[in-house]
Amino acid sequence: MSKAVSLQDRRPWLIAFLPAVFLFVFFGLPNAMLLSISFLKTEAQQLTGELTLDNYVFLFTEQTYLEALLRTFFVGVSVGILDVVLAFPLAYFLVRTNSRWRGLLIALALAPLLASVVVRTYGWYVILNRFGVANDVMLWLGVIEQRLTLMPSTGAIIIGLAHSLLPYAVLTLMGALGGINPSLEKAAMSLGASRFRCFVEVVLPLALPGLIGGFILSFSVAISAYATPAILGGPATQVMATAIYGFMTQLLDWSIGAAMAVVLIVSSLLLFYLAARAGARTASL
Amino acid sequence: MSFLRVSPWSALKIAVGAVYAFMLTPILITAVVSLNATNRSLFPPQGLSLRWWGEAFSPEWVDPLIFSLKLSAVSAVLSPLMALPLTFALVRYTFPGRQALMALTLGPLLLPALVTGVALLQFFDFMGWRAWIGFPALVAGHVAICLPFAVRTIAISLTTLPPNLELAAASLGASKLRTLMEITLPYIKNGIVAGGVFAFIHSFTDINLSLFLVRPGEQPITVKIMGFLEYGFAPTLAAVSVITLVLPLILVLIVERLTGLGNFIYGGRGNG
Repeated sequence: MSKAVSLQDRRPWLIAFLPAVFLFVFFGLPNAMLLSISFLKTEAQQLTGELTLDNYVFLFTEQTYLEALLRTFFVGVSVGILDVVLAFPLAYFLVRTNSRWRGLLIALALAPLLASVVVRTYGWYVILNRFGVANDVMLWLGVIEQRLTLMPSTGAIIIGLAHSLLPYAVLTLMGALGGINPSLEKAAMSLGASRFRCFVEVVLPLALPGLIGGFILSFSVAISAYATPAILGGPATQVMATAIYGFMTQLLDWSIGAAMAVVLIVSSLLLFYLAARAGARTASL
Repeated sequence: MSFLRVSPWSALKIAVGAVYAFMLTPILITAVVSLNATNRSLFPPQGLSLRWWGEAFSPEWVDPLIFSLKLSAVSAVLSPLMALPLTFALVRYTFPGRQALMALTLGPLLLPALVTGVALLQFFDFMGWRAWIGFPALVAGHVAICLPFAVRTIAISLTTLPPNLELAAASLGASKLRTLMEITLPYIKNGIVAGGVFAFIHSFTDINLSLFLVRPGEQPITVKIMGFLEYGFAPTLAAVSVITLVLPLILVLIVERLTGLGNFIYGGRGNG
């Protein structure tokens, strides 16, 4: 019997042997390596064997990178809040509507996921640059008298990312709101609750896991996004992703690049951990 | 509220309209900008012209586009293929090390793709595999980050498969292999195809991982666009953007059609 059990134990590993090895070699091992490199010293663009904590000290003391770190989280939080606020009415509508266009409307809300972030951000360049649509419209309306520099800026990065990641929040919230029985709301109102009270005391608490999930998902994708900050931001509005790219490809200090990447890993895992503790459900694609 | 004569539902509809406008305006503006006659990304366009569309079909842009399509196609085939045994092991068995295997499988979903890109660049460098940077390294990275999506879709179909189906086949004398080939695989086919489609889209739209693993002549269209943006914006980019937006859309529509059709054929045979 014990022999049968051990065979039973080994069989799944035999079945999954190839993909497990693949993931170990091309995902597990490289990330383990990254972690170790973040504790090694780079000198004259060459990695040395010397163990050090300097890379992390550098990141948290050098003003440029400390600012990049703080800006990254500011952008993440802003994008998370903006996306949840924008996604909530849309998701609620899509879950509750009887419109015969419902299928099309859902497809329309999720279709942006088919386009690369690079492509979606380009539209924002056209809108936000100095001679762009936003300036034209405001001049025409008489709101401003001179063209404004709307980008590069942190605000432009936030708008671009909120736009890119909105479908994720919609998807997550639709999952949460779809699980709320509409008769609960009817019951609350038939017992005399106002629409507002019903929303605050019935819908919101039940939707909370979805709200937290949508927030965390947008937040976590936003802090590691490269394209949008690179296009809508500039040297003065660096975030971690653009700084990592700089260290890896231009400054060629892989140790500091690795340390920054580790900070991103820890932040992401922490976010997902918090989300799980809050009972949040995230839908990722 | 009543003095405004706007019911809450109408107010919601207005809000929803505004959110749709926010979502779709930049994409529509991009499409319109591509018709500019001048060499600046102006909106509304100054004069109408298709010259930028002509340029979008020059080798400078078509080559990375084809490279992207190749890369995504390979990811779309390899990811479900690898995910299949992995999902079977994870869904069907409890075994020592299952948690570790699960973490390894879902890891690429939890860690930012950007980090995996950095890690792979360093890994290939230190292993002395620098020659692999380019298409081979990109395939390895893309399959790693696309795998979790395929595992998810296949796991969904596998857990909805009624266990009685496989038991019935076995009790009727079908071998394990025959049960797998004629009952299990056809049943979870849609999960496999969906995994492939997700992998294709995820791979085709990726920039964060690809950034670090490209070499001259071997770069996906997203990286090519990114590089071009550093030197300025031109309406060509808008045209290229529209092309890269439409291609996955067409693919999704075709596969939707085909798998629907495939279901129908399979259903017919099952009845006979």
